[in-house]
Order: sequence, then structure tokens, then C-alpha cells
Amino acid sequence: MGGGPLLGTRIVDLTDERGIFGAKLLGDLGADVVRPEPPGGDPLRRRGPHLHGDGASLWYAFFATSRRFLTTDLGRDADRARLQQLVERADVLLTCPGAFAIDHVDVVAARRANPRLVHVDVSSFGDDGPWRDFQAPDLVAGALGGCVGTTGAPDTTPLKTFGELNFMVSGIYAAIAALAGRRYARASGEGQRVSVPVHECLVTCLEHVLMFYWYGESMRRGKVLPRQGGTHWSMAYTVMPAQNGAIMVTPAPQIDAQLTWLVEEDAHGDLLDEKYADPANAPLLIARMMQLMREWVAKQDAEELFYRAQARHSPYGWVQPIERLADNPQLATREWWSTLDVGGRELRAPGAPFEFSETPCAPRDSTHLSAEVMLSELGWENPR
Amino acid sequence: MSARPLEGLRVLDFTHVLAGTFVTRILGDMGADIVKVNSADRAVGANDVSSPFYVMWNRNKRALALDMKHPQARALCERLIDQADVVIDNFAVGVLDRWGVGYEPARKRNPRVIYVQMSGMGERGPWSGFVTYAPTIHALCGLTHLTGVPGREDIGVGYSYNDHQAGLHGALVVLAALECRDSTGRGQRVDLSQFEVGVNFLGPSLLDLFGNGRAARPSGNVLPYDTAVPHDVYPCKPKDAGIAGERWLAIACMTDAHWRALRRAMGDPDWARDPAFDSANGRAEARVRIDARIADWTRDRDVVATMNLLQAAGVPAGVVQDGIDLNEHDPQLRHARFLTPVDDPDPQLGPMWVDRLPLHFEKTPCEVYRRVRRVGEDNVSVLHDWLGMSEAEVRAQEADGPLR
Repeated sequence: MGGGPLLGTRIVDLTDERGIFGAKLLGDLGADVVRPEPPGGDPLRRRGPHLHGDGASLWYAFFATSRRFLTTDLGRDADRARLQQLVERADVLLTCPGAFAIDHVDVVAARRANPRLVHVDVSSFGDDGPWRDFQAPDLVAGALGGCVGTTGAPDTTPLKTFGELNFMVSGIYAAIAALAGRRYARASGEGQRVSVPVHECLVTCLEHVLMFYWYGESMRRGKVLPRQGGTHWSMAYTVMPAQNGAIMVTPAPQIDAQLTWLVEEDAHGDLLDEKYADPANAPLLIARMMQLMREWVAKQDAEELFYRAQARHSPYGWVQPIERLADNPQLATREWWSTLDVGGRELRAPGAPFEFSETPCAPRDSTHLSAEVMLSELGWENPR
Repeated sequence: MSARPLEGLRVLDFTHVLAGTFVTRILGDMGADIVKVNSADRAVGANDVSSPFYVMWNRNKRALALDMKHPQARALCERLIDQADVVIDNFAVGVLDRWGVGYEPARKRNPRVIYVQMSGMGERGPWSGFVTYAPTIHALCGLTHLTGVPGREDIGVGYSYNDHQAGLHGALVVLAALECRDSTGRGQRVDLSQFEVGVNFLGPSLLDLFGNGRAARPSGNVLPYDTAVPHDVYPCKPKDAGIAGERWLAIACMTDAHWRALRRAMGDPDWARDPAFDSANGRAEARVRIDARIADWTRDRDVVATMNLLQAAGVPAGVVQDGIDLNEHDPQLRHARFLTPVDDPDPQLGPMWVDRLPLHFEKTPCEVYRRVRRVGEDNVSVLHDWLGMSEAEVRAQEADGPLR
């Protein structure tokens, strides 16, 4: 085990995609996270991309950092008994309904044996309700959760966000639930179960969607804002094509500063017309400014314009393709990247997105935990 | 009412806009005592307490007015830091340092304090002074480039995903640092970079880049690395003209069993009986044709009825919901009473609504939702509880001091 603020916290990870990001974060923060898997390997090891086409799962390498894998043959009494013991000695049990081994753990008995156990269960829709048994992989979860409906352009279909963004929300909520439950258990001696419905988690992260429904009329906007591509609900941020790429541009937070810049560049068109000076015409000004900026931006190099904007404290964002992150000066200076052993190869990998001054931590290589080591560490006898 | 899990935790909140305010919203929902610092001068734009945007993220917090430009503000702020378990600094890097209440002086006064600095880029590095909002971070971290359709880079995520996630990461690091403090007795600083939070979401694709030399590109609703067909959104009977009236149904066949169930639910049409479609790879080769046939089937159907039909048949399917669906039609959210009015309507703004904390604690339910407070509305109660000040002392400093 490495360092990290959660050093010494014992967690059993019986999650699938819906909760695995939370288990990863807790492990990266230093907790001892044991993840049981069947002798044939964790089914999530089949998720792509893979190293060299059919090698180790890179999806799994990312989501299953900082773990100790415990091979568990559910057909063997001894393995099942060990799993039960493991849960009974844990501080936190993370589960998803239907995930490997969860149906072979007696959680009630474990909580009786260990009243301080915090059990966090991440399910698609919670413990009851009309949709309890609905199946919701990422695309469906994002659709029902409101995320898909507000993503995409008017001339595309509604779009799923790239990768695993929806389940990363439920995953981190699960990690928060685990530590909040743990804090209460420390203070009171009482553990508890915490149910974390993916659906509800996603609905809390929709920014303007609920705001427009509740308060849109007072904002002189409608209840629903249809998908509008790279344009933010405020209409003050949008993505524009530029030379050698694209850039997110905005006249916020200082419209006057943007106007000054356009004047300096002789790209201001009719923006000095007095009708735009009336504060009541601010939406008109922003719309016209965006129109003129589109013509101006189209002639600029995306990366250069980004640096020029930031030098003027304008929050432009260059639309970076992923490969440009490899030599990103900010990540390099902060020594952000870590290294993981994937299928016997040392690969550059994402680091931890948080830096603790006293208990530094980063994603660690996972290891395999033998049953013997597990038992001896915990001072247990081999179950008969 | 039973206790909430974070009761007794004192948080001094220097946050604005969304990411930082979401940290303290989550902690406040779980019972922490959040003291949100604002001032009459700063309460404009996203800090205007009557703006809907502010209302969304600032429930369950107490409001302290503190004008940091006032000569006595620093001394009062130092006394608050002495009492704080957690300080959240979400202003630009260096602002609290200039006020003399940054991490170094805070730590000297209160070694147990947990000081979370959440800035766009982190406190070190050549980009640390950059100004960022969520659309900036989405662009820089690769999410804008990758969320879209092939050949375009101007779409991206349609809401401030990274702000919410930075808030969730902020809540997580506070709790992790508290866990550590319980064993060591010492606080620490956490430097949280919203850019790094965003880059991390591309983890598997970054490993693909470094391991295979392959740079990910947008793939619409097609999974970039796994074979699942059909896997898209399909048009259903519109409820109205125009884009706002469109109805879409997401269908995701992750397994061959899902496909067989879909085929049956569609009435086993001839086109779907092609033996090549029995495997995901076979379906992937005919993706365009299959998607078109499914769209033909869904086009005149009611979106909700079709979802219910497919789910009952064992097919993962879901309505692409909007704000009206979530509030008026979603039976699951209604069952959980998930979107509800606050407990105490605002005297001026009237009823306000909340999306509740999505964590259902069996023994410590989090069911208190208090309205957003005006600037300085809780000066007396906060300064009494934290510093033992009398109402008269507080009123005097409101009239002629930093409490404004």
C-alpha cells in the first residue's frame, strides 16, 4: 500500500460500471480496496480499448487502479467463507446489484458481525419505484437522466457524452456516501446502508435544465432549452471553427474588454453603434458580437488565439484533440502523469486530480492478493 | 429528526459560480454548517442571491456578509478560520493570500484546518493564472473534441458537466482529509485542479494513446471501443413541431440477448431474421441498415409506451428526457419525491425548488432543504455560534464595520 489520506481504510469493491469509479478514487486516495474476481477474470476486463488490439484491457487498467484482486471461486465453500470474512472485517462495502459475488455475500450477517460497516449500493434506480427493474447502461441512463437531451447540435441527434461520464457521476457520489457514512460511524459507532440511484445522481448535474424548468419564465426564457451544440445556455460561450482547429470563445466576463480587443483588431463592425450602449440591449449586443467574432475567429490560429485571449484574462478554451494533452505544459509542470504497469508494459497514465500537501497520493499498480496473505494479514484462520 | 452524517462540521465557504458552490451544497445537504461568505458589493451576477443560478447551488447554507476590503475584515476572518474544520477557497489563485487568510497563515493559526483550494488549473504551473469556466475546461481537457459526431469539433457536452464533477471531487477530498485528520490530528491543504479533474475522465482513451498510439475521435452514440448494436437514439412520434417537439428513444443492446428481445418486441420482422445479425460483429457490419429499420419502427410510436414495451421485454431503452419530462412525467423521480419545493419559501421570491441529495442514508436521512439566504441574513446566528459574539456586537459591526 502507498500513502494517501485514506491509508488504513478497508474497502471491499463489488461494483460494476455504475460504481467502479468511486472504488478507484477511494483506492487512489490510499484506501486498501480489495476487489474479488472470478477465476476466469473480472468480466469488466473485456471492456475496450485493449493494449495491442487483444491484450490487457486499458479500460480496466484505468478503472481498477489501486486495488488488490482476490480470485474467488464461488463454487468453493472456502472461498465464499473467505469473502464473507473479508466483508465482515471491512470499513466499507461497495456494491452494485448483479455485480460479481454480491449474491453470495450475506450483508445482513456481515452488518450484525460488524455494526460499523458502511454499505453503499449503487443501482440504476434505487431500491423501489416503477423503474426499479429497468436496465440502464450508460446511454440509457444518460437519456433518462436528462444528459443526452441537452447534448448535441440542432442538426445532429441528441448525443451521449464521450466515454463513461454518466457512471463517473454515480461512482463519485458513491465514494462520497462511503466517507460520509464512515464519518458518522466513527462518531456514533453505527454503520448503515446508503442507496445511491444513478438516475438521481445524474439529475443533480444538469446545470441549467432544472433551472430553466423552474425559473425560466422569470429569466425570460422557456421551460426547456433544446440542444444547441457548443453554445452554453447563457448564449455567451460558444465553440467556433478557427484555423487548425476550433476554439471556445466568450465575451464574458468583461464584455467591454472583448469589445476593446475587437476594436484593436479592427473586427468590431458596427458594435460602437449607440443602440448597443443601452444596457437593455445587452442580449442584442452579445448576439451581434458573437456574429462578428465568428468571422474574426475563423481567420485565427486556434492555439495562438487561445494564448492571446488568456493573456488578456479572457476565458477562451482551445478545443484540444486528445493527443495534445500528451505534451501539455501545465500537466507536465505539475508532474501530473503517473505510470501504470499494464500487461507487463509501463504506460504513462492519468495521475490523481487532487494534491494533498501532507499525504500525497496517486493511482497505484494493482496487485493480486492470495488467500493466504489475506488471511494472515487479518489474523484469520483458513476457513474449513 | 435523526442526525445527518456531517452535523457539527464547520465549513467556511469562499466560493462562487458553480463548482465550489456545489461542494458546499453537498456538504450542507449532509448536515455540515456552511457559512457562505458574500458581501453587498460582490452580490452581483452569479453572486446575486436572487438570481436563479445562485438559488440552484446555495441552499442549506448560512449567509455571512463580510467585506474583505474593510480594514477589520481580516481579523474577523482569522477568528472564523480558528473555528473552521474546512475552508473552501474557490476564488482565483492568490485572492485569499492577498487578503492575508490563505493557507499558510490559516495553518499557523489552526493546524487542524482542511483547506481546499479549487481553481481552474491548480495553484502551480504556467497555466495557473488562466481564467476558466466549465466550457473552457471542457475544451482544454478534450471533452468538447470527443463529444460529438465524426468530422466536427464544435459540439461538446451540453451542460457544465465538469463544474458539477469538480464540486463532487471537492466534497470527496474534504471527506478524505477529515478521515485522515481523525487519525493524525492534523489538517492539510488540497490543491484541486478542475482541468485535471476533466483530463482524468478520458483515462481509458489516454491509455489507448500512450499504449497503442491511437488518438480517440468523436463517435456519436456509437461506443468507441466496444461492439454494441443497436446503440443509438431513435426518433419517435413528435409532440410538437420543431426541435423542442422532437421525441427520441435511446436503445442500447449490450448483449445478443438484448438484440433477440428487441427483435421479438418488434414482432420478429423479416429483415431482423438475417442470421448474420445473431452476433454483435455481424450487426456492427450492418449498423446503418439496422439503425434505419429500427427508426422506421419507432418513428410513429409513442416514446414512453415504446420504452415501457421494450423494458418489459428485457431491452435497455429510455426516453431522452428534458426538463418537462423530469418534472412532470418521470414516475421514478415522483416516487422518490426527488424534485420538491424547499421547506421554507423565500419571502420575496416565493416558492423555490430543489433536486435532493441523491444519497439515501438509512440511519441519517438528509431531508432538510432550507432556502437561499440573503447577504448577511445570518450574521447574528453565525457569529454567535462560531465566535460567541452578542447581537449588539454584530449589529455594531454591521452599521460601521466589515459585516456588510
